[in-house]
Amino acid sequence: MLDVKKNLFAPMLVFAIGLAVAYGQGLSSNAQSRPLVKTDAVTYLFPEQVSVPAGKPSQVTLHFRIAQGLHINSHTPSDDFLIPTTFAIPEGSGVQLQSATYPAGTVMTLPIDPTTKLSVYTGEFIIQVRLVATAGNHLVQGKLHYQACDQNQCMPPKTITVAIDVIGK
Amino acid sequence: MKSFPVRRNTLVLGATLLILAIFAWAGWANWEYRRQEAERLLANAAQGELVPAPGGGTPQYISPLDGKPAPAFALNDLSGNKVSLASYRGKAVLINFWATWCGPCRIETPWIVELRQKYAAQGFEVLGVDTEGDDLKPDDKAGWVKATAAAGKFVAEEKVPYPVLLDGDAISRDYGGLDSLPASFFVDRKGVVVAAQVGLTSESDIESKIEKALAN
Repeated sequence: MLDVKKNLFAPMLVFAIGLAVAYGQGLSSNAQSRPLVKTDAVTYLFPEQVSVPAGKPSQVTLHFRIAQGLHINSHTPSDDFLIPTTFAIPEGSGVQLQSATYPAGTVMTLPIDPTTKLSVYTGEFIIQVRLVATAGNHLVQGKLHYQACDQNQCMPPKTITVAIDVIGK
Repeated sequence: MKSFPVRRNTLVLGATLLILAIFAWAGWANWEYRRQEAERLLANAAQGELVPAPGGGTPQYISPLDGKPAPAFALNDLSGNKVSLASYRGKAVLINFWATWCGPCRIETPWIVELRQKYAAQGFEVLGVDTEGDDLKPDDKAGWVKATAAAGKFVAEEKVPYPVLLDGDAISRDYGGLDSLPASFFVDRKGVVVAAQVGLTSESDIESKIEKALAN
């Protein structure tokens, strides 16, 4: 028994050292490819997990929060040059997005241009989606696309991932 | 033989300490790498800051480019002609980064058009730089056609008389990252940035910076 332990010891030591070095290298390569970290204007709040009847359309309400002092265009912005807020689920995830219902935007004007009325979301907002999931557990990577501004400046359009664990039963 | 367990324990302890030391080294090396990488990125894309104006007026944007030569660039205009900043040496230039989706950019554009007319005879020019932030790839022909059409529509609607260049994203890092728009850099006749502004201010604020660029 002792011999077995002795024989196992050396390979285990080599494996552990290799693992440690690989861990360090892996983290370093992750750091190299990581872009500059910026604070997102929009944060997905919940739900993180939903259970729905498999194969049947089910309504799920997604909750989001916009950072203080910022607004994003609603799904139906007031001008065609403005980028609407949209939600999508990539194909092949086992979950189909049948429809998405967006809230009406709040009408807002900028102090410097009171004649232009904007349709925006501020604070917290929800999107109601109808999902159809196949049976099983699906980690859905939904995508929320938006473009945020404050009173004087605008940030480039952005897409954030909305991670939801959808369980089709 | 009685000493063997002691030797084995010593070996196990030594190996454990070695593994822990390697983990510690890997962690430290990774932390050090990230720190250096963060410093490098910060230096490459140095961020400006907004500081309150004396007397409580419009906050002033302090750019890391202030007092430094404006980073050189050569971009295509809406007609596909290459336009370089260097070709405007001897003129005061306002480099105005904007985007079609940017509401505040639309508010300030008529001001800039008006000021360009007012100061053109003194050797002032504006370069509008469309910066959509969509990271279009060079081979994305459909994407470029769409972006060019959108910029052209904006230029026509706003009756923009100065050169409008495409693909500002390609030079945005050189100009401090441009996390938000509009962003303007005022360059004097020698090619040095004398003032900068991110976000909408006022026509008078832009005018004062144009005069500063012309004076140098």
